[in-house]
Amino acid sequence: MSDQVERVDLLVFEIGPLRYAADAAQVLRVDTRAQDAVTLEALGPLKRTHRALVVGVDGVERQLAVDAVLGIQPVAVERLRRFPRMARAGQETLGVWLDGDAPVVLIDLEKAVRPFV
Amino acid sequence: MEREFFSFQIGELSLGVPSENVREVVRLGPLTPLPRAPAFLLGVCGHRGEVLPVVDLLRFLGKGEAKPTERTRLFVGIADKFHVGFLADSVTGLEKIPLTEMRPAPLAGDWANEHLLGVVLRSRGTLALLDLAKLLTAARQRVVAR
Repeated sequence: MSDQVERVDLLVFEIGPLRYAADAAQVLRVDTRAQDAVTLEALGPLKRTHRALVVGVDGVERQLAVDAVLGIQPVAVERLRRFPRMARAGQETLGVWLDGDAPVVLIDLEKAVRPFV
Repeated sequence: MEREFFSFQIGELSLGVPSENVREVVRLGPLTPLPRAPAFLLGVCGHRGEVLPVVDLLRFLGKGEAKPTERTRLFVGIADKFHVGFLADSVTGLEKIPLTEMRPAPLAGDWANEHLLGVVLRSRGTLALLDLAKLLTAARQRVVAR
């Protein structure tokens, strides 16, 4: 029998000191930040702001400003968790990837930039 | 008649919660803040393969804010289906408190009193006994209301 662990590719990025992750399939490309890039203050203060994730919503491309792109990480779906009942976060969040003991918040990039399209 | 409490210190407060509402005490691991969460919800940490919300009781009770250090501990509080980590500067331990020593929470003043089962007056200060189940329900309501 082969190892049938289901995996998802997460694109891992930083905003300020914090790591976030998103479904890599939502990212069209990584680009140099344009002036009209969306910034999500709720995710933390940007530091370097020269990178952006390009996300497509209803055929429209929008940039989300990030500080750094750390790469694409294949992650077993069993490492993904919903938020506990006590820990509700913003609507752009999906849950948590447990990277060892370190939780990384999962962002729905399309939902995050949709209000700005 | 007596009741067992888990007592701890956070900031200037000496607090106790019913021991049946405490599962374990662990070190504070990597803490991940959550976007748009209320200030008292410091974030989440990984605990035994699950995600544990971490609450600062000082912020929740309007008594300042915790200052986590390497010595900070986390006690895992449980009530109903909630599992929540609470910061503690130090842990005193378990103690059985005679019900005759418990005084009612003060009626006036502080809204934090609504979360008290009572207080125990001691020469070294007051031990405030929290109703953790009620507190968790209130915390949940404040999280959801945002």
